[in-house]
Amino acid sequence: MNPEIVPIHRKESLGEDGILFVRTEGIIDTMVKIPLLVASMIIVAAIMPIQSSFSSPRTLDLIIYPDGSTHVSTEIDVDPFVTDYELDLFGSTIDNFVAVGENGFLLTTDVVGNFALIETFGSSVISIEYDIHDLVSKQGRVWTFSLDAPSDFTLLLPKNSAIVGMTNLPINMEIIDDKNQLTLSNGQAEINYLFSTNSIIPDPIDPVNPTSTSDYLSYALIAGVVSAAVIGIAAIIRFKQKIVKPIQDQQLTQTTQKIETIDTETIFKLNPDIREDDKEIVKFISDNGGQAFESELRKKFLQPRTTMWRAVKRLERNEIIEIEKKDLQNLVKLRKNMEKEE
Amino acid sequence: MKILALFTIFVLIFGTASTSLVNDAYAQNDPNILLRIAAQADEQISQQLERSYGDSIPSDIQTLHSQGQMAVVSLEKSLPDDIEQAREDFLTAMKLFQQISRIISESTTEAKITRSDISDRDLKSELNRLHKYFQNLKTVSEKQNTGIELSEIKELFILANEQINSGQTSDATQTIEEIKSLIISIKQHIQDSSSNSASDRVKKFILNQLQKIQTILDTANIDPNSSEFVEAESLINEIENLISEDKISDAKIKFGELNKIVKIIKKSIHKIT
Repeated sequence: MNPEIVPIHRKESLGEDGILFVRTEGIIDTMVKIPLLVASMIIVAAIMPIQSSFSSPRTLDLIIYPDGSTHVSTEIDVDPFVTDYELDLFGSTIDNFVAVGENGFLLTTDVVGNFALIETFGSSVISIEYDIHDLVSKQGRVWTFSLDAPSDFTLLLPKNSAIVGMTNLPINMEIIDDKNQLTLSNGQAEINYLFSTNSIIPDPIDPVNPTSTSDYLSYALIAGVVSAAVIGIAAIIRFKQKIVKPIQDQQLTQTTQKIETIDTETIFKLNPDIREDDKEIVKFISDNGGQAFESELRKKFLQPRTTMWRAVKRLERNEIIEIEKKDLQNLVKLRKNMEKEE
Repeated sequence: MKILALFTIFVLIFGTASTSLVNDAYAQNDPNILLRIAAQADEQISQQLERSYGDSIPSDIQTLHSQGQMAVVSLEKSLPDDIEQAREDFLTAMKLFQQISRIISESTTEAKITRSDISDRDLKSELNRLHKYFQNLKTVSEKQNTGIELSEIKELFILANEQINSGQTSDATQTIEEIKSLIISIKQHIQDSSSNSASDRVKKFILNQLQKIQTILDTANIDPNSSEFVEAESLINEIENLISEDKISDAKIKFGELNKIVKIIKKSIHKIT
């Protein structure tokens, strides 16, 4: 902990003003307590996203119906210490408004014009769904969707619709149940489409999940961070010489406790509207003994975190799976009592 | 310990930096989709022009279309190496196609689709929207164990679907109206049956907040005889009484008033400090 001052012995290297060069090793130790520094950084890292995310949508998904009405589905982080949250709606002709708190409670809402006042009372995340009739207009055969989006969003176009104009660059595009789904950035967006029999945009590479070189870079970076974290954890465990055996035993038990395989065909029969990509997820979970971590699903299907999270939430809404928190991760399990409930 | 601490710092910094890199990478996901969208738009516009004008396409539209097609060709050439140029070409092409589609349609007046626009009412879409709404309510109902009977509405959904598929429009419309009124009563039922737990949550929340506000008032260096202070104290007492009497809606109103006064007090504290 003693700072070691090492003067430069060669006289000729001293500056004209007689500046002393000092070894910096140990200065941080002396001046700043490292644990304090680490704790501060962790707090800053934890607080920054919270501060920036209050009142901003976590997810925003839009579905356009053939008649031009649009279903909006969004999750918003709200301040748990305020009584209510005023939501700017995308228009004033609103139907079927539902706001649900994080515990699954229906929240009291008052929709007035372009605003909805939602009594959050302690909720930190609220889910909102509603239908709106203001986002799409029609001129002749051409339909125009326009929105000033507060965040990146997905837009599922109606079946047999073909895009004939747009003002923005799409982030991504997928084909879901013979419908084009675009992922677009926040800001003003306008898309023109019309109905045509030849509307599905063919993908010569992979119709569901186009993957570019940049994706591989992303995965490599993620893998790098994960590996570094794993090495770090291993080092900590080794360093502290803690007993590892019980954890290993627990993991073994966890693997052996996998629930019996559930017939996916029955699930699909009971849920005929389930999307093709969701079916793949269900099949994977079923083959995996009825449960899988969300992170495993992301790895398997090479999907970004938000896309997989939405898929999992969709399956949960359809009561096909249930989500459990395990070791700070989401464990996705096929529901056993699906048939009974139906 | 020092090595571990430094390692943690490294992971934190690298983790933060890599996340932003990953976001950028995701924003550039698969530039081939630009070509796919533009090529399809080109094809659709060509079909529209053929349908609207046959062989006698007006020269201004023809010029726009040719420019759009050139932009698509340029887009194809730019990929996969020159992404920036590809993006530019994509936007150029799509804006030109947009212009053409507007010109083709300009003879008709624009009509916004609203729920009152019955002529454009699409029963299938309406039924799908209602079904989504019902699914949301059903999930809430099950989470709260309300025990609401949902078999009737499920049957009505099946019936409406059959009626739409077999072209019985007026019957389907009637069934949809029945579904709507049932959904309203289901929502009301959920709200009623969950009102106890909801009011418990509100009570808990308000009492917690009152404690915090009381702490602010106790520690604030302000004149206890000031009108704001006196009013805040009186509102706190009033809210506590209302909660003990289970008058939650009144308590919520008073809590809103209290919050406004606390904001004023907080501002004056900031001015002093």
